[in-house]
Amino acid sequence: MNQLRSQSRGTTVQAVLLAIVSIVLMFVDQRFNHLEVVRSNISVALTPLRYLVSLPAHTGNWASEWFTSFRDLVNENSNLKANSRILNARLQKMQVLQAENTRLRNLLGSSAKVADEVIVAELLSVDQNPYRQLIEINKGTLDGVEIGQAVIDAYGVMGQVIHVNQHTSTTILISDPEHAIPVQFIRNGMRSVAFGNGSSDQLELRYLPATADIRVNDELVTSGLGGRFPADYPVATVVAINEDLIHGFVSVLVKPQARLDSSREVLIIKPRNSPSPR
Amino acid sequence: MFKLRYSVIYLSLIAGIILMILPLPESVKTYRPDWVALILIYWSMALPNRVGLLAAFIAGILVDVSQGTLLGQHALALVIIIFINQNFYQRIRVLSLVQQALYVFLLLFINQIVTVWVEGFLGRPTPFHAFLGAPVIGMLIWPWVFVTLRDIRRKAHLS
Repeated sequence: MNQLRSQSRGTTVQAVLLAIVSIVLMFVDQRFNHLEVVRSNISVALTPLRYLVSLPAHTGNWASEWFTSFRDLVNENSNLKANSRILNARLQKMQVLQAENTRLRNLLGSSAKVADEVIVAELLSVDQNPYRQLIEINKGTLDGVEIGQAVIDAYGVMGQVIHVNQHTSTTILISDPEHAIPVQFIRNGMRSVAFGNGSSDQLELRYLPATADIRVNDELVTSGLGGRFPADYPVATVVAINEDLIHGFVSVLVKPQARLDSSREVLIIKPRNSPSPR
Repeated sequence: MFKLRYSVIYLSLIAGIILMILPLPESVKTYRPDWVALILIYWSMALPNRVGLLAAFIAGILVDVSQGTLLGQHALALVIIIFINQNFYQRIRVLSLVQQALYVFLLLFINQIVTVWVEGFLGRPTPFHAFLGAPVIGMLIWPWVFVTLRDIRRKAHLS
């Protein structure tokens, strides 16, 4: 009996110790960055699980591609050819425009704007925590990914990298409640900051002056201020303007251009070595 | 051979982590039961000398990393419920599955409360249905978890 009692005291001590350890861990994790290394190492160990989880989706894609019928392929091929002809035609125009642009920039004396270098990555998993908007992608430090790099899809800015492991990395989406992105209206150049609010089809511009010139369908691009996101990538379009007449502010709801909940392929933008002055 | 038999426990916990990161539609996501907690409760009831507080802590840290939550959040909750379980399992083991399920609901509820409190401290309030939904679902599937893991335990000749 005595032995039993001392044993149960042992587990009590152990439980209290472990509880204290977890609370300290939480505190440190919340306040400081020291645990990033621990997290990324454990995360590397968990990578096979993430692959396992995304396996059915990948297999599904692979199978549906494999079994696409011949006629579909022929149709697709002819469509693609037509498309590529159109795109080529546009590209020619683009080249002329680009040449003209460089010439004008030279005239103005500013450095030519080089196209950003990108890393192509694929979505591994979507974070299941309902309070966050995080995605896991399949490129890591070995591929040149670094914390803070911007992530885009074919339509617009998706977010930025917040954890990096060797082979995978975690991206916070612009719709995460803890994320904010500096933006600029294309139409009138007005600057603002777009906050995520947890739903993947909405961002919010808060506390704009009631006199601001904003219309529905205005387009927003990154302003490049703050140095995190490169300038001039599309971010969102305005869908609703809520006036708070009592306080003299308006808050604007905008819809992200990027398909935050359906894009599988993403691009990570590598910043150029010397950020060009704007 | 001796060691190999016990790997069943780790495999079941890994399966639990996979079930917790498996993508689900947004609408049912908040009703996802805490699989790792269920599996830990089973093993700490069946093999209390094998699976205890340390296992709960490590499993919790793994869940935290895989879910991107604060390091230690699930660990704390799991350590607490496994500690409670260690004081009661002898009385609970002999009950019927339905009675056990009610007890499991209590444990899952405490687990949920701890997690939600931490989220609350971080300024992320939880909607009410999300608060109760997961423990209720966990309670409903407990009999199946119990029977499945018991069969696995018997196949592996663990006692």
